[in-house]
Amino acid sequence: MPILEVKNLKKIYTTRFGGNRVLALSNVSFSVESGEYVAIMGESGSGKTTLLNIIAALDKPTEGEVFLDGKSLSKVKEKEISAFRRENLGFVFQDFNLLDNFSVKDNIFLPLVLSGKSYAEMNLYVQPLAEMLEISDLLDKFPYEISGGQKQRAAVARALITQPRLILADEPTGALDSRATDGLLKIFSKINNDGQTVLMVTHSVKAASHANRVMFIKDGEVYHQIYRGSSSDNEMYQKITDSLTIISTGGADDE
Amino acid sequence: MNKLLYPKLAASNISKNRRTYFPYIITCIITVAVFYIVRSLSLNPGLRNIRGDRYVSEMMGLACWIVGIFALVFLFYTNSFLMKRRRREFGLFNILGMEKRHISKVVAFESLYIFLLSASVGTALGIALDKLMFLLITKAVEGDIVFGFFISPNAIMTTVILFAVIFFIVFLNSLRHIHISKPIELLKSGSVGEKEPKSKLLIAILGIICLFAGYYISISTKDIISAITFFFLAVILVIIGTYFIFTSGSIALLKLLRRNKKYYYKTSHFLSVSGMIYRMKQNAVGLANICVLSTAVLVMLSSTTALMAGEETALHNMYPYEINVQTSSKESLNSFSNDVQELIEGEGHKVEKKDTVCCLSVAAVCRGESFEVTKPGNFGDLNSLNNLVFLSLDEYNRLMGEGKTLNKNEILLYSGDDKYNYNTLSVFDKNYEIKEKLKNISDICNSPVVSSYTTRYIVLPDENELEYINKMQQEVYGDDASRLSYILGIDFNGSEEQKREIYAEALELTGNMHTDYVITNRTNGKDSLYPMIASFFFLGIFLGTLFIMATILIIYYKQISEGYEDKERYEIMQRVGVSNDEIKKSIHSQILTVFFLPIITAGVHTAFAFPIITRLLLMFNLSDTALSAVCTVICFAVFALFYAAIYLITARSYYKIVSK
Repeated sequence: MPILEVKNLKKIYTTRFGGNRVLALSNVSFSVESGEYVAIMGESGSGKTTLLNIIAALDKPTEGEVFLDGKSLSKVKEKEISAFRRENLGFVFQDFNLLDNFSVKDNIFLPLVLSGKSYAEMNLYVQPLAEMLEISDLLDKFPYEISGGQKQRAAVARALITQPRLILADEPTGALDSRATDGLLKIFSKINNDGQTVLMVTHSVKAASHANRVMFIKDGEVYHQIYRGSSSDNEMYQKITDSLTIISTGGADDE
Repeated sequence: MNKLLYPKLAASNISKNRRTYFPYIITCIITVAVFYIVRSLSLNPGLRNIRGDRYVSEMMGLACWIVGIFALVFLFYTNSFLMKRRRREFGLFNILGMEKRHISKVVAFESLYIFLLSASVGTALGIALDKLMFLLITKAVEGDIVFGFFISPNAIMTTVILFAVIFFIVFLNSLRHIHISKPIELLKSGSVGEKEPKSKLLIAILGIICLFAGYYISISTKDIISAITFFFLAVILVIIGTYFIFTSGSIALLKLLRRNKKYYYKTSHFLSVSGMIYRMKQNAVGLANICVLSTAVLVMLSSTTALMAGEETALHNMYPYEINVQTSSKESLNSFSNDVQELIEGEGHKVEKKDTVCCLSVAAVCRGESFEVTKPGNFGDLNSLNNLVFLSLDEYNRLMGEGKTLNKNEILLYSGDDKYNYNTLSVFDKNYEIKEKLKNISDICNSPVVSSYTTRYIVLPDENELEYINKMQQEVYGDDASRLSYILGIDFNGSEEQKREIYAEALELTGNMHTDYVITNRTNGKDSLYPMIASFFFLGIFLGTLFIMATILIIYYKQISEGYEDKERYEIMQRVGVSNDEIKKSIHSQILTVFFLPIITAGVHTAFAFPIITRLLLMFNLSDTALSAVCTVICFAVFALFYAAIYLITARSYYKIVSK
């Protein structure tokens, strides 16, 4: 059974007085198997973020359904949605979304504190995670004292600490320099090798080239997808660039 | 076309920023209106001549200055706040190609609009309310009601000129804000990481010391002279203490909570404690401002309402009878007493009450059960200075219509509200047994002792004892010694006007008396006391209104600006898995704390200020502590009600911003 199943998603935004209707997603269906590393690519305005928000249960689709572990998100009660999100999903954002008023450690603890875990237990979880992400010495610092790459690793730690079924990453490399980007992508590959399912939305070819599968979204639809198969990161990079060229020059339009 | 650009842009800017500008304009309007009212009252001929007394006019003239200065400070402060909020907007204009001088031009138009609007509406509102205030004051001082509308061109002029100047200064400050800003900074402002505040334990401790020193002064000061001297010291200490505790103490406390892992890592505490640390850093000074302003409002309103409510008691304390005469010879008092009675009855009035007494009042320092009489200047501690009033048993029995007896060395004692815990009392090397502590004493004995010191009445067994005491105190004081006072008090019926006339005639009669005398009457006393109290009361009301408004505005702006900052943080939390309920709970507890911390502190301040204020009220012969307490509680309740209303309005705006 796939870990994530997206069926016929449609999302229409209506302006406040019902005047303009904007179609963000027209018909999106795909599924993600456990242990997969999937990248979703698309230009600005293609509906990537809308899709991610719906998967994260932050937004509701106009039509269609999302199943996580076979459970429909629309069946989760409003009251339980936050706990559900906390326990099943881990988020990594472009602008890190660390809270300034918490130390790095407290930022990582946030989801666990919300779940009512004891301090001793949380401490137990955080140690190996911090070591893997190389942020052990930063735990007592505050977000404004550390670099962007370090912030993003802290955010990854926060996403992983609940051992979620699925990591959702929204342009995770968008605000990082190339070195920090490399570091972060390595981390994603590593956690994926350890069995973590990752779904990443990006328009960075480099970021996408680390994934096992890349889906292209255009005008609210899954337009195309490519699998890594046995290709290396570099070959994958080439494949993605080719696909993007075809998509943006509209090669397929003539069919 | 181009000419119209700036005025149009200015108008649209104001309407775009209406969430912040609307309260600001309202404040400007009310400030203008209050100033106009005060100014116009100070010029109003109807108040200028309340039976020849210019007290109200002069007091309002003084109030003009206070309101004017306050208006400047307050509008300056709020405008700075508005300008800071608009930095991003100016940055955008700048990047879109407007030079700073163009932005200045737009801001100049905005200032002009706001000035014109508040000056015109404010003056109009002022004129409308002026008459009402005038009527209230006239009623309070029981003056003659003048019909017709009084519009003072002079007051309008002053108001317009003053506020033109204030708005110009405020405008200059806006220019300063625009000119020191850089576009890059402008666009980024707000996204700079907030440093966590350092806790300064030393300052927190210093704050606590200051606060308690202030409280101690208020509680321990017993006499009126020190109360006046130390009142301002206490106020300053408490203000310093408040600022220190709000800025450092709060953060030190929160960090202490955070260090306690068991407490801190609980869902509700986790969000609230960390949120509060962040909040206190930005708002500590603002909250301390609110607290100090609230305390000022409470102290001002409660003391002036206590005065107003207790003015009749005060009047009766000062003038126990309609006509009060004090002289140093029994014969002249008796003949005068008869003359006055004849005069009153000759005019067709009825004498309702007439008392005379002979007594001696001596200042003495209280040392436990012994009272020392020393030369003035050697009193040392003013707190223990007592006023002893001696009278003989015969006088007492005659006055009270009783038949008490006393052996030699026995006395009766009446100590008023003050407790006397001993059974003996010694004065001038004589030791007396207290046979009975009296529950009350005739009003007539009050007459010579309009004093804020503790007064004790001592009933001596016979005239000889009184003579002895008199001799002893003359030895000590020499030329400054008190003399035996012969006191007369008469009450009679009649209108106030008739009472004034009789007093005037009685005053002429005193020409026949061959000794020195003091003669006062209640009605004339009222004529000077009531306007004074009314002036204080209305001063309290006007300044109270302004201060409450200042408090409201500061709180409103604080919450609004916080709302914009918190919005992002709550969005992040939502994504990480904090439920809406948890966010709401955390917001609620934080806003509640931020809101009610200042007013609760202000309440505590006021409670501790109460003792020294009751001492100060003694200046006006108001000795009714229970009444003052009731007034204070009522004022606090009214203020809290206002405060809660502001809270509801502000919290709603805040939720709107955060959850948008």
